[in-house]
Amino acid sequence: MRGLNKKLFSILSIIMLLLLAACGGGNTTTDSNSNKSEDGVISAKFGVIAYLTGAGAAYGEAITNGLKLAQKDINALGEVNIELVIEDSAGKADQALNAAQKIMSDDSITAIIGPTLSTEFFAVAPEVDLNGIPIMGTSTTVDGIPEIGDYVFRNAVPESLAIPAAIKKAVERTGAKKVAMIYGNDDALTKGGFDVMERTAKEMGLEITTIETYQEGQSDYNAQLTKIKNTNPDLILASALYNEGAVIMDQARKMGINIPFVGGNGFNSPQAIAIAGDAANGLIVATPYFGDSTDPKITKFNEDYEAEFGKKPDQFAAQAYDALFIYADALKRAGSADKEAFKEALAATKDLEGILGKFSFDEVGDVIMDVTVLEIKDGKFIEFE
Amino acid sequence: MLGEILNTYYLQIGSFILINIMLAISVYVPLSSGQLSLGSAGFMGVGAYTSALLTIHFDLPIVIGIIAGALAASALGVIVGIPSLRLSGVYLAIATLGLGEVIRVIFVNWDSLTRGSVGLTGIPQLGREILEFARGVGFEPAMIGIKNNQFVFLSIFLVLLVLVIVILWFVVRQQNSRVGRALSSINLDEKAAESMGINITYYKVISFTQGAFFAGLAGALFAHVIGYISPADFSYHRAVEVLIFTVFGGSEVIIGSVFGAFFLTLMPEVLRFVSEFRYIIYGILLVVLMAVRPQGILDANLLKKIKFKRSKGGIR
Repeated sequence: MRGLNKKLFSILSIIMLLLLAACGGGNTTTDSNSNKSEDGVISAKFGVIAYLTGAGAAYGEAITNGLKLAQKDINALGEVNIELVIEDSAGKADQALNAAQKIMSDDSITAIIGPTLSTEFFAVAPEVDLNGIPIMGTSTTVDGIPEIGDYVFRNAVPESLAIPAAIKKAVERTGAKKVAMIYGNDDALTKGGFDVMERTAKEMGLEITTIETYQEGQSDYNAQLTKIKNTNPDLILASALYNEGAVIMDQARKMGINIPFVGGNGFNSPQAIAIAGDAANGLIVATPYFGDSTDPKITKFNEDYEAEFGKKPDQFAAQAYDALFIYADALKRAGSADKEAFKEALAATKDLEGILGKFSFDEVGDVIMDVTVLEIKDGKFIEFE
Repeated sequence: MLGEILNTYYLQIGSFILINIMLAISVYVPLSSGQLSLGSAGFMGVGAYTSALLTIHFDLPIVIGIIAGALAASALGVIVGIPSLRLSGVYLAIATLGLGEVIRVIFVNWDSLTRGSVGLTGIPQLGREILEFARGVGFEPAMIGIKNNQFVFLSIFLVLLVLVIVILWFVVRQQNSRVGRALSSINLDEKAAESMGINITYYKVISFTQGAFFAGLAGALFAHVIGYISPADFSYHRAVEVLIFTVFGGSEVIIGSVFGAFFLTLMPEVLRFVSEFRYIIYGILLVVLMAVRPQGILDANLLKKIKFKRSKGGIR
């Protein structure tokens, strides 16, 4: 008995010693603060935390691809030299925090981009903020992200900016008075989007006929749609990710519900058309990124991206691309890779021309930019008139 | 000197390892009486939410929140345990898995209290509270040559380490007591145990509730280490992950759970250099090990072989 306890204690202490011994390795990395080379090029290292393995790996892949493309373009310009350190978060808050700690244990990191999901961001950002390292979310759209701290920023267009724009335009054109709502209540993104929809509908004095919920991965929405149909709304506000949203639209059209849908950020994907086909017609979304735009900046980005990675970029790739340009611009103005100077310069970002348009931060570090309202017509995204 | 060897990244991983060891034990204890419980994620969630809500809304000290969280989980363990212990084997596994999902769905839908799937932010962090307390009694981390955030993570790590040691001590002591022998006799043959005069229901509820208590404790600590929780943290993936810790390490001996949690938590971090492929390697490793050693890496025979000399009876 006594011997056994001793064994247990000795094993635990060995584990602890191993851990502590392992600690020695981490801090010995480059400690050179000479981030300005002879030719005046400012070098900086940025940490990236992205969702690279697991169910949502497509998001993380788009983001890191966007960043890599931006890194190439920025370094080619020769004004600043950026190095990216990419870590995987696997979509889990604890893994994201581990990744952040790993990145932060390297003192030469100037700032962090990511993590991908809002639920990861809420766990990571307070810690990063306390360490005085700037952090920016490129895909985190839920309310309350930049409010976490002074060092926390985002360039993702929040739902509170995109959804009201889409609803206002839709109501203007259709003259809708009664709206029905449906949302996925077990996902932070769709739940956050729903909160904004409900608030907007109330502010605009629209009558909410019914609020329906579904669970992630559900495939039959007939119960909810029958209820919605019976209340006879003029418009359906659907806070759904594209994979579920497209199925909802498909089943709604089959049931004879032919009114327009308004969606959030997660609904905005060409995949919605691929899944729902003609049923996707009449979907209205607001987005900073319009893939079929004829804007030369966007067509160039699309071409470069496709040449590099063999597929079309999406909103997440575009936002990540812009994010690194925002960092590069702040780095230029800061004049060094010092975290404090960088943060001050970042907060002062104003009217920066990115591929998604003019970009500024407000006083808490949230994004100010114009969004485009799109609708699907004849199986294609077009600008909403 | 001390300041240089304490890396917050390693301390953080160490903390998660210790929390996962607690979770693995929460599966191991019911399993030692032959009950396969997959409710650990649910109980963990109850502990986490109870403690987080109490500390956020009522400004209670973290210690009270954590104890309340663990007790709430074990109370639920008793309530659920009594009726569902008529079930055994795979049926119990399904029932407890269902329980975990019900708990998660309650967190998702009880919007006014839990903020739904967006989750709870601003949970007081254990290490920072300890730092404030230490400062209150006139101690500055600089006095022993470490930075504030090193102190924060070091204190979390040490608190968790002490708790894990206490839990291990308790479980091992129990195993070699009357209760432990009753549990293992139930595990081997329920009918025989009953005919020997062992009150099966009583002992089963005890071990089930202990599992719930450890899971609730781990959940509450998880909430205060990470500072943010959402229902997604307590999905059935978590339950399966915890079960894998125990089964992988060896479910026959307690050191197996400890090893499983240690190894499988460390593994994805060590494999960070292969980036996208790390979970593929993780998966392959599981398949291979289960094919070669279905009883888990560590079992009683192996422990004997590597000269794990101890008094007879041993750990089971």
